[in-house]
This record gives sequence, C-alpha cells and structure tokens, in this order.
Amino acid sequence: MATTGNLIQVKSLEKHYNNGALHALDGVSVDIHPGDVVVIIGPSGSGKSTLLRSLNLLETPSKGEILFEGVDITKKYYIDTDGKKKKIDINTLRQKMGMVFQHFNLFPHKTILDNMILAPMKVKGMSKAEATEKALGLLKRVGLEDRANAYPIQLSGGQKQRVAIVRALMMEPEVMLFDEPTSALDPEMVGEVLEVMKELAQTGMTMVVVTHEMGFAREVGNRVLFMADGKLLEEGTPEDIFEHPKHPRLQDFLSKVL
Amino acid sequence: MSLSVEGFQSAFRYAEMFWQGLVCTLALSALTVLFGFIFALLLTLIRRSRFAPLRFVATAYVEIFRATPMMVQLFLVYYVLLAGLSLPSYKMFGFIRLERFVPGVLALSMNSAAYLSEIIRSGIQSIDIGQTEAARSLGMTSLQTMKEIILPQAIKNILPSIANEFVTIIKESSICWTIGVQEIMSAVNSVKSATFSIGEPLVIAACLYFCLTFPTSKIIAHFERKMRRGDNR
Repeated sequence: MATTGNLIQVKSLEKHYNNGALHALDGVSVDIHPGDVVVIIGPSGSGKSTLLRSLNLLETPSKGEILFEGVDITKKYYIDTDGKKKKIDINTLRQKMGMVFQHFNLFPHKTILDNMILAPMKVKGMSKAEATEKALGLLKRVGLEDRANAYPIQLSGGQKQRVAIVRALMMEPEVMLFDEPTSALDPEMVGEVLEVMKELAQTGMTMVVVTHEMGFAREVGNRVLFMADGKLLEEGTPEDIFEHPKHPRLQDFLSKVL
Repeated sequence: MSLSVEGFQSAFRYAEMFWQGLVCTLALSALTVLFGFIFALLLTLIRRSRFAPLRFVATAYVEIFRATPMMVQLFLVYYVLLAGLSLPSYKMFGFIRLERFVPGVLALSMNSAAYLSEIIRSGIQSIDIGQTEAARSLGMTSLQTMKEIILPQAIKNILPSIANEFVTIIKESSICWTIGVQEIMSAVNSVKSATFSIGEPLVIAACLYFCLTFPTSKIIAHFERKMRRGDNR
C-alpha cells in the first residue's frame, strides 16, 4: 500500500460544545495516506463520528487544522503555489470526499438511478447519458442493476447502504468516509455491506471507517485508531491493537466487545 | 328579506357582471398565489440566512403581516404605498382596472407570503438533517440542496396547508372590492343597487366562490397523491 505523503493531516483538532463545557474532540492528530484503510474504534461518545464528520466539515472544528492535500480546509482562504490568496471552496472539496452515513440518507423522492446521477449532473456537469451509464455500471458492481428504477423505500437496509456507497462513488472521490455504515442494519445484512467495502478497499480506495465491526477492522483495516473521551488513545496496525493493546482503556474496551 | 325566484331572475339579468367578477377574482387569486409563493420562498430563504440583520427583517415582516388586519394592509398599500405612483388606467380584458387591481394583488401577495413562508419553514424543518448532509457531502451547494432535495420533500409534506392557504386567498380576495377592484363582491354590490335586493346576488356569489375553492382543494389533493409515489409501496 502506498504510504508516501499525506492525503489528510489532522492537527490537534478540538471540537467543543456548550461553550467549551463538552470536548467532543480533545486534541486529535492523525495522518491519512493515500490507499490507507483507517478504522476508528471506541466506545460511544468517544468522538469517532465527530472526527470523521469534521474531515469534510459537516462538523465545524473549534480549534486545530485539517490539511487536505496540503490545504488547511478549516480556513476560508489558502495561499496557492503562485503565492496568490485563494478562496477555499468547500463544495469542491466535498466532491473529493465521499461519505456514507449510518442511516443511508438516500433521497426518498428520487429513484435509485436519480439518487446516483443527481450530483454528478448538477455538480460536475456530467451529461445524463454518461451519468446513467456510469451509475448502471456501479449498480451492477454491487448486484443491484435491476433496482435502478425502484424507490429507496422498496429496498432493504443492506441494499440501501450499497446504493449509498455507489452514490458516493459516482463523484469519483479520493477518499471515502464511512460513519458506522452497518450500525442501522439488521444483522443478516451487515455482511453484504462489509463485502462491498472490502472490495472497495482492494481497489486501493483510501477509506476512513468508523465502525463497531471488529472483524472488519482486523481484516480490512491497515491502521486502527482507538478513541475515548475525545482523545486518540492508541494507534497501530490491527495486530498491534487487537493482539497487543497497551492502553488500559483499549484493553478494557476490547474485553467487552470481543 | 327572503329569496325569490323573481329575485334570482332579475339578478341573472346581470350575469355579465358576475362573469366579469368571477374572472377578476380568478385573476386576482391566481396572481396572488404566484407572487405570494415566490415571495414566501424568498422570505423563507432570507429567514435562514447566515446574516442576522437579514433574518431579523424577514422575521419582523412575517410577524407584522400576521398580526395586522388584511384590510389595514390593503388600505396602506392602496392609499399610502402606491399613492404616489400613477398606474396606467388600462383595462385588462376590457373590464379589470389595473390601477385598482395591481394594489390588490400586491397587498394580497404580501399578506399571503407571510403565512406561506411560515408553512414552508415548518415544511423545511420537518425534513431530516441527514438529507442535507448527504446532499452537501456530494458537493452540492446549499441552494442546490434546497431546490433538489429539501423543497420537493418539504412541499409534499405541506401540500394540505398550502391548499388551505390558496383557498383562503380566493376567499380573502373579496376584500379588494373595498378599493374598487371589480371582483365578485363588487358585482354583488352593483346588482344590489340595480335590483334593490341583496339576498339573491349574495347566494350567487357564494356559489361562485365555492366553484373556485372546491376544485382548487381537489386539484391539490390530486397532486398530493401523485407526489406520494416514493412513500409507500
């Protein structure tokens, strides 16, 4: 796996709620390299989702920096290579970061196909024919090509999440963010979604995954982060984390979930 | 006073007048619905603006228009706001006097925009935040998100309230006869002066209003069913 350079660099990130009374993120720093599959684990309320959602600024950090391809996206402006001051366009940045949500968030008033082609057409100016062809190809990849004209309500949870993944892939992102993608699924549907994510990881896609699926973290992740109380307490390979946990909080957490 | 067949017969001699009143009421309501809705959308967007003074102005507007009588607003528009403006004395369709009609449409639109914007706001708030997050994470702008994702779903949810407001506009438009707009109530008044009886023209007016409002709510109910496509299967 390519580990040269950083795709995303998080520096001392903090997120406060209630005027600083609650620290959802308390000085988190992490580097994400191209091709990484970073899995974030930890108890509820540890700040995993807040960290993930900060990466594409669905949450506005209170302090710290997030460098995406070297540009601090928490600022309004950046200085480009010619020394010119340029405005940071969050909409362009978000196209490069696909996001998959716990509750799928498909658009219920649009068919599966329309869910997928809307943003490529509106945001990237792709033609309808081109977008449709691309969408059908992706749907085929996840075994849902026959559901293109169905509405989200007609799909099972697992199918919805697979659609949500390929909808994000339509924008050809450089990194995919997964926010507990299997937590809202019936147990028998978890496997089909993880399978799609695993295949995606094998294509070399950079992924950041918040999950409670320890099997996935161990098997697919190349780096595992353990968070608790808004802090990044331990970081390492799946083997480091699961076989030789050092921090007592991590040992305690693993004894409960494994 | 009682109603009589003769009374209706003499009132019907002024069918032309009622017809013109009906057309005028229809034009008045249709334009009010159109402008009121556009204005309400703008108001709603301003009320969601990041800029606090703008939010304050829009909210104040809504509160003031909801808290003062329609007739006061109408008179203010006609006698104060547009008093200095000499509108052309052109007659639309040959009988709708623009210099009365335009202030009527303006006042009604300004009023209904306040109510409609409250309805639209509640509709927008009813849509799960996850929808916005999904659209924004795909790189869509907040305006695209509003137009493609939030409003279509919000409007579906608020269609019954919108239908109610449209019906209200048709009925409220009757107030415009007080500034000389020749709509249905104005026809009633003219026929009363000519025939010396008020009951029959009023019954006719009630029927005419019903013929406008009843189909309106039915048509919207039809659209509502059509838009429920994505909901249940």
